[in-house]
Amino acid sequence: MDDSRRRFLGTAAGVAAAAATGSVAAQQGATPPGILGNDDIKAEKVPAMDWHSERPLTGSVLAHEHDFDVTPNHRMYVRNNLLTPLIDMKDHRLTIKGLVDKELTFSVFDLPKMFPSVTIQGMLECAGSGRSNYLPKASGTPWNATGGMGCPKWGGVRLADVLKAAGLKSGAAHVAGQGGDPGMIATAAPVIRSIPMSKAMDDNTLIAWSMNGEPLPFVHGYPLRLVVPGWVGSASTKWLHTLTVLDAPFKGTYMDRSYVTPKYPVQPGQKMPADTLSTQAWPVKSMITFPKRDSRYKPGAAITVRGRAWVGEGLIDRVEVSTDEGKTWHNAELAQRGDKYAWRTFTYEFKPAHPGYVTFLARAWDDRGNAQPAVSAWNPLGYFWNGWHRVGVIVDA
Amino acid sequence: MTPRIFALSILFSTGVLAQESLVSGPGSTLTENKCKICHELQHIRRQPLSRGEWADNLRNMKERGTPMDEAEMAVILDYLAVYYNREKPAPPPSPDTLAAGGDDPVQKLLNAHACVGCHAVDRKVVGPAFKEVAAKYSPDSINLLARKVREGGKGAWGEVPMPPNSGLSEADAKTLVGWILGQR
Repeated sequence: MDDSRRRFLGTAAGVAAAAATGSVAAQQGATPPGILGNDDIKAEKVPAMDWHSERPLTGSVLAHEHDFDVTPNHRMYVRNNLLTPLIDMKDHRLTIKGLVDKELTFSVFDLPKMFPSVTIQGMLECAGSGRSNYLPKASGTPWNATGGMGCPKWGGVRLADVLKAAGLKSGAAHVAGQGGDPGMIATAAPVIRSIPMSKAMDDNTLIAWSMNGEPLPFVHGYPLRLVVPGWVGSASTKWLHTLTVLDAPFKGTYMDRSYVTPKYPVQPGQKMPADTLSTQAWPVKSMITFPKRDSRYKPGAAITVRGRAWVGEGLIDRVEVSTDEGKTWHNAELAQRGDKYAWRTFTYEFKPAHPGYVTFLARAWDDRGNAQPAVSAWNPLGYFWNGWHRVGVIVDA
Repeated sequence: MTPRIFALSILFSTGVLAQESLVSGPGSTLTENKCKICHELQHIRRQPLSRGEWADNLRNMKERGTPMDEAEMAVILDYLAVYYNREKPAPPPSPDTLAAGGDDPVQKLLNAHACVGCHAVDRKVVGPAFKEVAAKYSPDSINLLARKVREGGKGAWGEVPMPPNSGLSEADAKTLVGWILGQR
């Protein structure tokens, strides 16, 4: 039994008990699932987390608070479209339906008994991460310039194994995930997004129950969620209860009106054109996680620049750092390659030749020859910011 | 298992609702009432958009479940495209001439607490029509109903919950309920 599975089975009962009693909402009645309040969610996060909005709840830490090879749970960004449900693991069921040979329903405890458990480290990043870099301002959650992402270790079973067990009918092309997050009002549309079969069948796409070896925190999808690593976070349905196999992309507002980009670039400030693409994999991106902006250094002291680089599909080929506003670039050291969809740590040693203000720019390249742009193409909903990250420090005289 | 909608208390009890507002102008009250059902008004204030972007945005919100009809959407679009337009500066604040009831104290309470986001006098929106409430309860139910308005609940009109309105004083709740029970 792998480690995450043992810990999961060991703590599941305790967490289920917490779900039934742990909040004011739940205390109003143990049977119907309640809602976890924002204060309870925030209490599980580091004080450094900036909360961008309360309704819906969104929050993240800045780049210099992301200086970890594996993102700890309490630093993972929060992005809900609706509310955080308190679901009892014992009662939770996952149903696979649609274009399948046989409709299947599993309890959470069935999954690790019936399918191989796997643990992968994988990136999740909100489509709007970095939105506040766009000018003119784009509509949506005001994410900071950096930080709307994270790279924890996820434990669960492969979505492919579960789909194979149900048997795919001919024409099966997309898989839609639906989660149990309720809206503010009864008329709220459920958050449903679908992913193409090629991604659904990828070995790294999981139905996950653990995050860094712990049961999923409530706000991150307890007790089950999809993990579609490298792709926009909204693909990774939280509180997953239904998977529907479809012959085409799901039609719904979260596919067709939100999480879309113009098929061809538009002039900044223009509305969404008729031709759009549903957001999928993140383009190549990096950020400098050390030093912190405006740090001070003694004269002559070496500065170790450290950061993380990732790409939604493909591999990181190299990361370059510039100390002269992009006139010249120098290769950074890349840490050993880890899991396919994990971010990769880079470091660059710099010895300042004189006192004053030094800026570091980072630019990552993927194995398909794509580099980060200085400034990302403007789009009406402000998605996919992957421009160069800049950090300036002061070398004292 | 599909979790049922159960409690909406936290969002309505943060106190954010009462403090937030948009620039006053024709349509501002309706815009506030509809938008703040689900999200903070900072999502509007933080970035002006073009008229076309606002139109797309409203269509998206309608599909996400905002209870508003085409006529209401037209009022909201006109308001947003005048007061939160990235292409031209907003005019100075002016009275919301389109707000229902004008200076009527009950209408002000209905607007301030977003009651009319989900209720109307003579038709069901999300919650029951005020006339249906008046028909169901006797005129001496003021204390009972005032408590339900402030604490929220469900069951009387089906499984759709009524969120608590803890920001509403007991006196104001009684004023509102008294008015509602008069709508017969």
